[in-house]
Amino acid sequence: MGLLSILRKLRSSPEKELRLLLLGLDNAGKTTILKMLAAEDINHITPTAGFNIKSVIADGFKLNVWDIGGQRKIRPYWKNYFENTDILIYVVDSADKKRLEETGIELYELLGDEKLQAIPLLVYANKQDLPNSLPASDLAQALGLPTIKDRAWQIQSCVAIQGTGVKEGMEWACKTIKKK
Amino acid sequence: METRAEEILKGFQVYPFTLFLEFFLIFSCSNWICLKDADGGTVFWQGSDDLSLPDVEHQAKVPKNILQCRAVSREFNFSSKESMEKFRLEQKVLFKGRCLEEWYFEFGFVMADSTNTWQSVMEAAPESQMMPASVLK
Repeated sequence: MGLLSILRKLRSSPEKELRLLLLGLDNAGKTTILKMLAAEDINHITPTAGFNIKSVIADGFKLNVWDIGGQRKIRPYWKNYFENTDILIYVVDSADKKRLEETGIELYELLGDEKLQAIPLLVYANKQDLPNSLPASDLAQALGLPTIKDRAWQIQSCVAIQGTGVKEGMEWACKTIKKK
Repeated sequence: METRAEEILKGFQVYPFTLFLEFFLIFSCSNWICLKDADGGTVFWQGSDDLSLPDVEHQAKVPKNILQCRAVSREFNFSSKESMEKFRLEQKVLFKGRCLEEWYFEFGFVMADSTNTWQSVMEAAPESQMMPASVLK
């Protein structure tokens, strides 16, 4: 499933330009997911000190996926990228239990922002292959996702380095965009 | 004295793409641009000239068979020491002095001391709408 095929699925949606925003703590796997979506080599990924964008253009229709670095010192800049977002994708390292609280705080900060109001949320419970990783259902509870009432949300378990689950998450995103 | 706008408008050419980069002068360096086949990943052209030099025309010679690709991927990697509020990239495709195609992409905010990449995949137009490679001679 490449970005072009995602774009094809979205062609009947009313908007001409779609923006997907990938956020999450550093080392959650955002860039790996982005590269997986573009069917690219994931062997040389380094921490993102800025942003990575992938755009696909076909038939006058555009899909832009924005991956913004998650290091603590650059998180204050996230808000510069909220505008016109169609889907918020939040990536969590399910095995990083020490930073579970931190990832929750950052997530709710996003959900409380006016510019992201009512924007559908897809959470990738990444690194499910690691021992001691929290299953997606436990992670959903720990993050309090069932209490979210102001937007559509979905949690998807995935192993980004193997590509498992990434496609399923994007399928949800496509369906949700079409319903808007 | 040239105005800021004049300075910015000094474009540079990356055949077949002509790029006019706003605020390019304050880049510490532009790292690389790469054109490849979006399907197989074959690299047609990769350049790492210092694209931030405003007076220099940059050229890339791309093999004709890039025109046979179903989709072409272009990657642009750049670093900036300074933060920028509204960075955008413009492209003009010029052929014998006439502008055939024009678009822009708005990055918006660029963080200070950041390295950023933008990859865009362009699907080829249907063959009937394609300009034959032979006219490019």
